[in-house]
Amino acid sequence: MNKIMVEGINKNMDEIIERWITRMKEEKGERFFHFMPDHLVEKTSREFAVLMTSNINESSAANTERISDFTEKVVRFGWAIKFVNKAIDNFSDVVYEFLEEKEIINESNLRTFNLIFRNWINPLRESIIDAYSTEWERTVSLQKIALQELSASLIPVFEKISVMPLVGTIDTERAKLIMENLLEGVVSQRAEVVLLDITGVPVVDTMVAHHIIQAAEAVRLVGAKCMLVGIRPEIAQTIVALGIDLHEFTTKSTLQRGMQAALGMTNRAIVEVEAN
Amino acid sequence: MNARIPILKLNEVLIVSIQWELDDQTAIQFQEDLLNKMHETAALGVVIDLTPIDFIDSFIAKVLGDVINMTGLMGAKVVITGIQPAVAITLIELGIRLNNVMTALDLENGLDKLYKELEA
Amino acid sequence: MNFRSSVEIITEWDIVAARQLGRNEAKKAGFGTVDQARITTAISELARNIYLYAGKGKIEIERVSEGGAFGIKIIASDEGPGIPDLRKVMEDGFSTSGGLGAGMPGVKRLMDEFKVSSEPGVGTIITTKKWLH
Ligand SMILES: Nc1ncnc2c1ncn2[C@@H]1O[C@H](COP(=O)(O)OP(=O)(O)OP(=O)(O)O)[C@@H](O)[C@H]1O
Ligand SMILES: [Mg+2]
Repeated sequence: MNKIMVEGINKNMDEIIERWITRMKEEKGERFFHFMPDHLVEKTSREFAVLMTSNINESSAANTERISDFTEKVVRFGWAIKFVNKAIDNFSDVVYEFLEEKEIINESNLRTFNLIFRNWINPLRESIIDAYSTEWERTVSLQKIALQELSASLIPVFEKISVMPLVGTIDTERAKLIMENLLEGVVSQRAEVVLLDITGVPVVDTMVAHHIIQAAEAVRLVGAKCMLVGIRPEIAQTIVALGIDLHEFTTKSTLQRGMQAALGMTNRAIVEVEAN
Repeated sequence: MNARIPILKLNEVLIVSIQWELDDQTAIQFQEDLLNKMHETAALGVVIDLTPIDFIDSFIAKVLGDVINMTGLMGAKVVITGIQPAVAITLIELGIRLNNVMTALDLENGLDKLYKELEA
Repeated sequence: MNFRSSVEIITEWDIVAARQLGRNEAKKAGFGTVDQARITTAISELARNIYLYAGKGKIEIERVSEGGAFGIKIIASDEGPGIPDLRKVMEDGFSTSGGLGAGMPGVKRLMDEFKVSSEPGVGTIITTKKWLH
């Protein structure tokens, strides 16, 4: 019985895939099938079909290596788990209808085929969804690490003066990391003035400002001074508009000006010397 | 009984180095001892070094803050030194800023700051 | 199921015992120095509140895991007078004892999760968690 079915599927694979793609295109909220180039859709669909049919022959569990390869791909394509589920449903529907049309499935063997179908699709769905969630978790944690690596380090520029350039969006978790790096750095570099450069921070809202203020206050507690530099005009506007009070901090528009001020605070200055 | 925190005198300055975790009694005892010593010696400044301290809660922070305020009332300047990063972060998260005190990275820097302040 | 240890808070010295236990547990659980300080400080606040306002009670420390995350849970419980206005005590600066009023709102900021339930005349239970990141 299985054999007839496998033959029926394999012989008509092209048409099955085509019908499946048509259905997937009708699904709402998924851009993959419309947006991606045809050959890529074709290739991914074929892989999916191979994956789906790989375990019909064997009564054993699905090929885990193939499953994880495939899920890694679809996660990267951004397929939602709902969509993956839908893809499995559609595939099994298409195959079922097809086998009915070809009269491989008929009144007399309906029961048996139902059972075969269930034993085929269910474990496969489970393994795919399992692999999907594992892959997804892995992706999320990788992204998190990448984001944390963005988080700034303190650079000793002159004796007693260090700079921390901040780049990218600051959320609560990153803010905590920044604060720790900043304070550990101040103590280990024996910095007396630190310049916090926010040139690369796209938005300064009350939350970000709050974290910056806290960082500056903590810097004061360990015994150094914190200066905020790189305040672009639009940032200055939002700071004032939001009513954020930065009066207790020295602020400078650019890193250069900040550096001059920092040298002044540590009783030094940059002097030009004549070339000879 | 509790060990007391030693208070050293160097010229017009008192130096306190807190070497172990403060329990409530020791903290209160310290407050009293320091004020007495200030009075006895007519010191102009105090440096309190907290380098070995790995946490400060709101109670200890209040005692410290009170010490700072009282010392100010007696006409002396205070510098707190060696607050560890982890301690600074927890203090800020507790909402404690110790606004009215000078700070320095370590005892040496603290003494420098204090002498400069006293000269001015 | 989980490893749990506890300290009865009866005398002032028990506050010291509770926070030392907390620091050890936090270290064993793999928290960094800053989080160790946060956890120790939070325990100190809760234990002192028990001592000051309820007379006696208990601090329990437990390792927890939830949905793949690992962390530490602190339960501070007492059968003291309870807290009549929960909203008020979470405000910075509110104190009935001339303290800084930093304890309760501070613990909430130091930790990741924070829950109080209190009934006047019955007692107070505060549960707070910190997750390993
Ligand atoms: N376990 C408790 N039982 C009864 N009342 C409590 C309890 N814990 C706190 N409170 C009440 O909540 C108030 C606020 O507590 P919180 O710890 O925030 O500040 P505090 O203890 O007054 O001062 P600080 O902690 O800054 O030294 C206390 O003054 C007290 O009235
Ligand atoms: Mg309290």
